[in-house]
Amino acid sequence: MKLILLLIIFSCLSITIISQTKITGKVIDSNNQPLPGANIFIKDSYDGISSVKDGSFSFITEEEGSAILVVSFVGYKTSEENLFLAGDDINIEIVLEEEAKELGSVVISAGSFEASDERKGVILRPLDVVTTGSDADIYSALETLPGTQQIGETEGLFVRGGSAAETVTIIDEMIVQKPFYTSVPDIPSRGRFSPFLFKGIIFSTGGYSAKYGQALSSALVLNTQDLANQTLTAINLMILGLGGAHVQRWDNSSFAVEGTYFNLAPYINVIDQRPEWDTAPVGVEGSMNYRLKTSKTGMLKAYGSFSYGDFALYTENLDDLSKKDFTRVKSENYYSNLSYREILGDDWTLFAGASFSLDKDKFELNKDKINQDEILNQGRIAVTKQVFKTSFLTFGGEVQNAIYKNNINGMLVDLNELFLAGFFEADIFFTNDFAARVGVRGERSKVLNKYNLAPRVSLAYRLGTYDQINFAYGRFYQTPFKDFILQTTNFDFENSSHYILNYQYISDERTFRIEAYYKDYNKLAKGTVFTYPYINLPPVPFSNDGSGYAKGIDIFWRDRETFDLTDYWLSYSYLDTKRDFVNYPTLASPTFATPHTFSAVVKHWVPEITTSFGITYTFATGRPYYNPNNLEFLGDKARNYNNLSFNASYLTTIFNNFTVIFFSIDNIVGFKNIFGYNYSTDGTVRRPVEPTADRAIFFGMFISVGQASPF
Amino acid sequence: MKLILSIALICFAFANAQADDSKYEKAMKKTLAEIDSARDYTSMLNVANGFERIAFAEKDKWLPYYYASFMYVLAGYTDTTTSKKDGYLDKADLFINIADSLKQDDSEIYTLKGMIAQARMQVDPMNRWMKYGTESTSNFNKAMRLDTLNPRPEYLMGVGLFYTPEQFGGGPKTAKPLLEKSLEKFNRFVPENDLMPNWGREIVERLLIQINETTTEKK
Repeated sequence: MKLILLLIIFSCLSITIISQTKITGKVIDSNNQPLPGANIFIKDSYDGISSVKDGSFSFITEEEGSAILVVSFVGYKTSEENLFLAGDDINIEIVLEEEAKELGSVVISAGSFEASDERKGVILRPLDVVTTGSDADIYSALETLPGTQQIGETEGLFVRGGSAAETVTIIDEMIVQKPFYTSVPDIPSRGRFSPFLFKGIIFSTGGYSAKYGQALSSALVLNTQDLANQTLTAINLMILGLGGAHVQRWDNSSFAVEGTYFNLAPYINVIDQRPEWDTAPVGVEGSMNYRLKTSKTGMLKAYGSFSYGDFALYTENLDDLSKKDFTRVKSENYYSNLSYREILGDDWTLFAGASFSLDKDKFELNKDKINQDEILNQGRIAVTKQVFKTSFLTFGGEVQNAIYKNNINGMLVDLNELFLAGFFEADIFFTNDFAARVGVRGERSKVLNKYNLAPRVSLAYRLGTYDQINFAYGRFYQTPFKDFILQTTNFDFENSSHYILNYQYISDERTFRIEAYYKDYNKLAKGTVFTYPYINLPPVPFSNDGSGYAKGIDIFWRDRETFDLTDYWLSYSYLDTKRDFVNYPTLASPTFATPHTFSAVVKHWVPEITTSFGITYTFATGRPYYNPNNLEFLGDKARNYNNLSFNASYLTTIFNNFTVIFFSIDNIVGFKNIFGYNYSTDGTVRRPVEPTADRAIFFGMFISVGQASPF
Repeated sequence: MKLILSIALICFAFANAQADDSKYEKAMKKTLAEIDSARDYTSMLNVANGFERIAFAEKDKWLPYYYASFMYVLAGYTDTTTSKKDGYLDKADLFINIADSLKQDDSEIYTLKGMIAQARMQVDPMNRWMKYGTESTSNFNKAMRLDTLNPRPEYLMGVGLFYTPEQFGGGPKTAKPLLEKSLEKFNRFVPENDLMPNWGREIVERLLIQINETTTEKK
């Protein structure tokens, strides 16, 4: 600045006008590193140059008088300096600041794993979800991440000592009532939504945003694809059934329709099964998807799906081995979701959505007939406003109307819940390296006649180019499971508090993440609604007296760099948890938690044969199971769990139609896995709980009609 | 795939510059002449910077924005650091969109848009082909519709197919008709003036020679 002043004084004294000025200098970033390739020029003139390797530059301009020196560079804020050009050499040092929201700025990420095509610095890609594990199921892919438990006998995500009911699935900002097909004890079902529907996935293993609630442990936030890329017809042939899809793309809209019929009977006849099937699982499912680009920034999405399934099986009656129990399950699921998103003016984003779910299950248990209907109507509005350049405020509200109808042998129990929630959240970037997300969420339940107020805080501080530390705290509330509130509404919300500390390093090809957490459970619902598998326990009265804790460390490492065409990741979870809930007589480690879980995923691409191979290995220490003969409640532990699965996808064209042939084997080595034991009422007879088959095989052919080339 | 591009860079034949007293034309010609010698990404960024300076000084001319965008695409192909590629392509997108707003429905601009999509796909083909493959094809198709004489959309589509494995419906044989059509158009192509885009011919010729050699070998 002194120099410029001097120049001004000098130029005032001097009357001579000199026509050429030499400008030299150096461009550096805020860490004093030189920036080569920056563009330095005099505004509204042709004069300028690029900086060289050491960030220095030098050029001559014929402009005179007051001028603006502009310096720009990819990923940095453009700088403008006032100069006075009078023929004397000018030497100037330019410090460029990194542009916020570019690759460089810190991302709030405590507790969450993100899969996205659009964002940089994410841990997974949506394609990983499809190519990991053996069955192209979102949930089984997520089970290779730390923080989750390997639970073979039930579907659902068991996160950090939480039960599956503590994880909520959210599609386009709205809760999905039943993300899985209906199942029976000891036989898990699959997720109902195809991974191909989604462009972005955020899996939070704790400390999630105030935008969501009603989950004590974890939120899985799924965002559906925007406009379909192209008109396409697909035929899917699988070992389990067949399906087809058609996608039509217009300029500003697209429509997709898809349907699948599956029948496990042929498969079950070939692969030895443990359950004695009366009717092998059969079903149909279909969905429709409409996308309309309402303006340059507006998007309307409509989605509707239905499914129907039926299966029946016999199970051994352990109290009378001469008898068999018969179970039949018929289920119907309807789900629809309508949402609209638009950017208004310069800095307002509006989201409005509504969804409807109807899930009907019909159970036959020997002579008992149980019908369960659940309806969920939902509406949601959220508005985001950018205030200043560095902070965003989001506020909104949601309303849910849930209707439960249980019909047990003609006896009807029903409940009509009205749930309201409002939230406010601020994302603040104090600097490029330090950001905070502060939010609060309030909820009200009509049937409980209770309110709650949940604060959430998440901080992120960047240490270097690739690494950062994160901290999160949050309070989470959940209405007790419907089976409780159908019995009595004299309950309060269950709650948990999360404390999370995390360090992560994410470069392009390598990710390392270590996270320590402590979770405190309070007011867990207690009472005897189900006796299975805890037979013989004294009935427990209904109350909110349950409690518990979970603490542990999750470690994740992913590397795409070290081995050519190979991508692998390793996960390890340490978990220490105890809880007293449902009909537990005391504080104990639950059946769905084990101290050590490890998994390794390796993917290798062989270009010569256009085939991708994947191997997933999982190890978990044995989980507790209930033994009525042991005085210590849940004092027994099952054997360690091992699974090695293999998959291969061969990409090719068949009659000029792009085709993927997918093959997988689960538990290729045939490890004998035992999840626990079931006992007879007197404790004298026991049977192991095992997978339905030692090995599962999947084979499928997915043909894109008329699409020759993926590249 | 890098090969495609490194070859693509080499072949920008510009008609010999004529002396012109217009300041704009002089600056453009000087910068256009620098394209040929720019072989590494730093020098490509320098050329891009040159076009950017002209663009900002002129503001209502689409060509400097077009060439600035073009140089960023080339830099994106040349710089081997994957993490930087999207940053360059963001810049390329920014400039081509300004060019598009200054001159609507121009075949050359849509060709470059298609090329940017191709480059985006190359960053992570496995994950991106669905989105950017379609985007590049639809831009090339639009470019062909807007100017049936422009040889460049066929050229870039042909190059894309040339390096696509045969299993996916690509390969030299599939690329050949497109490249031949492009060459045919190149033979008749006369740029409006010295500043207009006129690149790509050499690589089409080179690829066609390569294709013919391999097919004769097989016989």
